[in-house]
Amino acid sequence: MEKFMYLFRGGMDFPHSSSPASQAHLQKWMEWMSRLSKDGLFVAGEPLSKAGKRVSGTHKVVTDGPFAEAKEVVGGYLIVNAHDMEHAVEISKECPIFEVDGHIEVRHIDTISM
Amino acid sequence: MAEQSENKVNKLVDHFFRHESGKMVAVLTRVFGFANIEQAEDIVQDTIIRALETWKYGKLPDNPQAWLYRTAKNKAIDLIRREKIKHKIEGELAPLLKSEYTLVPSMNEMFGENEIKDSQLRMMFACCHPTIATEAQLTLVLKSLCGLSTKEISHAFLTNEETIQKRLYRTKEKIREEHIPLDYPGADSMPARLDTVLKALYLLFNEGYNSSHPEKLIREDLCEEAMRLTILLTENPSTNLPHTNALLALMCFHASRFNARLDDKGFIVLLKDQDRTQWNLFLIERGNQYLSIAAQGAAIHDYHIEASIASVHANAKAYEDTNWHLILELYTNLFNRTQNPVVAINKCIALGEAEGYEKAIAELNKIKTLTEHCYFNTSLGEMHLKAGNKIEARKHFQKALELTSSHAEIELICKKMSSC
Repeated sequence: MEKFMYLFRGGMDFPHSSSPASQAHLQKWMEWMSRLSKDGLFVAGEPLSKAGKRVSGTHKVVTDGPFAEAKEVVGGYLIVNAHDMEHAVEISKECPIFEVDGHIEVRHIDTISM
Repeated sequence: MAEQSENKVNKLVDHFFRHESGKMVAVLTRVFGFANIEQAEDIVQDTIIRALETWKYGKLPDNPQAWLYRTAKNKAIDLIRREKIKHKIEGELAPLLKSEYTLVPSMNEMFGENEIKDSQLRMMFACCHPTIATEAQLTLVLKSLCGLSTKEISHAFLTNEETIQKRLYRTKEKIREEHIPLDYPGADSMPARLDTVLKALYLLFNEGYNSSHPEKLIREDLCEEAMRLTILLTENPSTNLPHTNALLALMCFHASRFNARLDDKGFIVLLKDQDRTQWNLFLIERGNQYLSIAAQGAAIHDYHIEASIASVHANAKAYEDTNWHLILELYTNLFNRTQNPVVAINKCIALGEAEGYEKAIAELNKIKTLTEHCYFNTSLGEMHLKAGNKIEARKHFQKALELTSSHAEIELICKKMSSC
């Protein structure tokens, strides 16, 4: 088993909202992650606050907020176990984010050899 | 009058908190793991204290149970978020509890009705794990599942608080060392474990029914808890076995006599003197139902026989209508299976009613092992009294008097002696 990271972009702005639609959507995420957990595929994951800071360059310049476009902001991440990239991609397709037109970037977590 | 109703309110409040605290401890122990049962108990304790503080100013919430659950839930979530316990959480729930995506939804699920029942069942099995000593099993069930305080438990066992505290401490250490999980036992170990759980519940009921505490003969609460937990077992397919139902039937029949067992001065009323209109017909009916469910299937367990005996008494309209021959048969059967001397005594009592008191006396005198037992002596005394041997009767009643510390029993024996 290898480790992969999902970077979530776009989709619905939850779990910060408490509207019924958000709650229903959150429940779908809960079900998806529950299934992953039961299959031993769920490692870790957290939602990220949309606001934040950006620190750049050799001069370590600090600016507000990550990006201009809402759909480009990383809303959260998930680390999963999967056999290979193909498997990781397959699993990701079950994510409810696609119902609300979001996207997932799937990246392999590399091991660094000394 | 005001004091009486205040007492009633206090009792209800105690009962409510005890009841709910048992459920919450089960849920949170499931969340944190059996090894972290202390943390679960601490949170529940804090929640109850908070409730008492907030509610006493007359601001009772619309749904007290929901209030309790919400408060306990939030405290647990808080604890997990503050990393105080995160690293200690293991098991299949762990990844979901450690992620913000799933922490709150998971906790909400855990406090759902079905999950609460499930957690309590797991608790029952875990508390009765074979590596835990029998006495400790019962203590743990009383503390964690039934929400009794160490003081109440020490009264039930006629010991002191320190002994109970030490026992609980050692048991929790053992749980940590042996990594006992809060799981259902595997298919292989289930039958034996279920038997242990049933035995614990039987003891619990017995403790309530025949409380050895000198001041109160009946602890309704203990009996109720035992019945409630046994009902939980019948609601789960893997534990809803014939003998589970037999035990429940037995409990129903005994419990049906609660109101008739003591008179208004708190003295014991013997079965033959009880006002049978005070017997709870609903419970008797339930007992009959459970007994007929228990009769399905081939296996006979001791509980079947005990329940059948209780059923004969419960369904007799008057003492004179009791089918003593059937009871004698049942006790004979039970004694052959168990070789239990108390059963032998009961058999003799039935023999006395069915075939004559002198016969019963002869049989009783053959039992050598219980001559220092109160019940043995009261039974012999009773048989002699019925046979007309007043002097012999008095002798045995006197002996019995020295062998009990229960005020209610002492009263009863003295009454008997005055008719000698």
